[in-house]
Amino acid sequence: MAERQLTIALAGNANVGKSVIFNQLTGLNQVVGNWPGKTVERAEGPLFFKGYKIRVIDLPGIYSLSTFSMEEIVSRDYIAVEKPDIIINIVDASALERNLYFTLQLLELEASIIVDLNQVDFAAKKGIRIDVERLSEALGLPVVPTVAITGSGINEMLSTVIAVISGEEELKPLKVEYGKEIEERVKALEKLLRDKLPEVCMVYPARWIAVKLLERDIDVSGKLKNYEAGKGVLEYAEKLAAELEKIHGEPSPVVMASERYGLANKIAKDVTIVEAPPRISLEQKLDAITTHKVFGYPILVAVVASTFALIFVGGDFLIAGLGFLFDNLLFFVEGVLSSFLPEIAVELINKGILNGVVAGITIALPYIVPFYIILALLEDSGYLPRAAFLMDNLMHKIGLHGKAFIPLMLGYGCSVPACIGCRIMETERERFLAGFVVVLIPCAARTVIILGLVGRFVGLHAALALYAFDLVLVFGLGRIAFNALPGEPVGLIMEMPPYKKPSMKNILMKTWSRTKDFIYIALPIIVAGSVIITVLDLSGFMDYMVDVVSPLTSGWLGLPAATSIPLIFGILRKELAIILLEDALLLQGMALQDLTAIEMIVFSLVTMIYIPCIATIAACVREFGWRKALAITVIDVALALFLGGLAYRLLPLVMVT
Amino acid sequence: MRRGNKRISKEDNLRNLDDVVPLTSLRERETGVVVHAVGGFGLVRRLAEMGLTPGVEVKVLRTGPFRGPFEIEVRGVALALGRGVASRVFVRPLRSESNG
Repeated sequence: MAERQLTIALAGNANVGKSVIFNQLTGLNQVVGNWPGKTVERAEGPLFFKGYKIRVIDLPGIYSLSTFSMEEIVSRDYIAVEKPDIIINIVDASALERNLYFTLQLLELEASIIVDLNQVDFAAKKGIRIDVERLSEALGLPVVPTVAITGSGINEMLSTVIAVISGEEELKPLKVEYGKEIEERVKALEKLLRDKLPEVCMVYPARWIAVKLLERDIDVSGKLKNYEAGKGVLEYAEKLAAELEKIHGEPSPVVMASERYGLANKIAKDVTIVEAPPRISLEQKLDAITTHKVFGYPILVAVVASTFALIFVGGDFLIAGLGFLFDNLLFFVEGVLSSFLPEIAVELINKGILNGVVAGITIALPYIVPFYIILALLEDSGYLPRAAFLMDNLMHKIGLHGKAFIPLMLGYGCSVPACIGCRIMETERERFLAGFVVVLIPCAARTVIILGLVGRFVGLHAALALYAFDLVLVFGLGRIAFNALPGEPVGLIMEMPPYKKPSMKNILMKTWSRTKDFIYIALPIIVAGSVIITVLDLSGFMDYMVDVVSPLTSGWLGLPAATSIPLIFGILRKELAIILLEDALLLQGMALQDLTAIEMIVFSLVTMIYIPCIATIAACVREFGWRKALAITVIDVALALFLGGLAYRLLPLVMVT
Repeated sequence: MRRGNKRISKEDNLRNLDDVVPLTSLRERETGVVVHAVGGFGLVRRLAEMGLTPGVEVKVLRTGPFRGPFEIEVRGVALALGRGVASRVFVRPLRSESNG
């Protein structure tokens, strides 16, 4: 039997359980990547149901379909241009009015929509029941209640998809209408669009373009600018929008939003049955205490501290186990390879490729995986927005807002996900500012150096002082960058979703897809770095490089010449810096503890600041573009060398060696 | 009808702006009706999209420490607004507990 193919897209506000539904539908067969040319995550997966092969696309979670973020543009362009067969609009039953606002915008895009009324259990707990039939009548769309966490209703939803596709169930979508003075202008503009720009109206619904133009949507007007007839249309739209603003005394997007919310409110009121007054639940008590003026902070400190304790304890445990396993494996492979390959090839394969892979797995992953699990737990439970709430004021000091606390915290685990995490910031300026500071946060690999060198041989107080200095630096530099970069800071506007019991399955799936992402970006670079080091070493080129940079390391930083090697190659493999240092010193007949306290501190300080590793640079390029990634790299190297030299000269004055 | 109500409240707004205060002057658990938001085009628009449109009722759930953000309830959703943002939203305080 020939398979019938379908494409469905999941769309909805943030925090409605969309990713849970996506995971329920596609399981582990997801392909996660980026939307072409955008740093917006794109996830898709296959699903087989009743003889259909269904492509499920997870559209980014958004608040509304107006041009504020790349997420929104990506989603609406996908819906309008690619025209998926069905849009599943996931709606949070416990916040219906707000979610219907989004549904109305989907209706304006003239898509085929099925409403997934999710979290009906949670709504019931809040004393809210939704009359599904009436909601379906009001919207003219099928409405299927679900509880995504347990998977209840998912099958019915898929059956509804098939029923709509096969024509058994008909959609009679509600037409979103505005007040008379708006409606007149929408119709006039729509007519002009059909006359002047028929080619654009083939792709996007004419009425939708008209509405967006009246709302002064920059993305849509930008699209029309490319057409010859566009200029006249835009001038006319501008005139109409100005008229609307004169009538209402509000900016036109506010006028239109008010009208849509008016309609959403009316529908929500009609179909909502408040069964019982909400009781103070455990979740609310938890909410009150974790955002409390006094208790919130010790809780935040405890959460962050226990996160890192768990990561490092769990990581060490995994590293020890995996290390033992792989050491034996490598030894065995080396034996097998040398039986038929020349020595130099064995060394290249073993030291370069295999060691790189093993290092990626045994050093990076044991920290990354526990970190991702805890992160998903904090995310799904709803704690992260609370942390952002508490940290908002502090983050404003460096021109960012509370949300930036999240990538900053990620930075202590690994700079790669931290850079990607900067996506949650609203504007390009904010994203870059956050990216600039997160790479300065010592990641797990840098922590290994700080603790393994300074912490072990100089004392824990010195290691902690380095951390404290780093925080001062982050805030100082953040402030300078904030003042130097053009543009206005953006204030915090963030939804505070209620606390929820996280689902283990969802957490594991999230962890898996993120780990996969990390492996794709970082592992090849770690392996390549490892191969380059081995080649340089085997060819004798490394000695030459040491000679070139030694005036800097010995003269300016006051470090033994041998430290050049770990400093140079720390760029490729930061987590190896301490091992490289040990090897390099050994060649000079020295051990780690032969370094003076000042040398150790200077070395750790420089390593902490000088450059994010090459995997981080790659992540920066992906997130911020070449020029900004280069700027971050150059600034960090210059700063590290400057501060290292300064420390070498100033520390003897304050320290007794 | 809702649309009618909104017009009346808008005329009221223009007639008498004496009792209009920034959201930041409300205390925890106090409610108010949004009159307008003042600020850049982007901010005003974003607030409207999040549901803070003229005429809507908001309740301050809690205020953050150290001059931190305001957490408010609007249209059944809890939103955190940085203090700078909150000070740009102007409301008419509701004295008694309203069920409107």
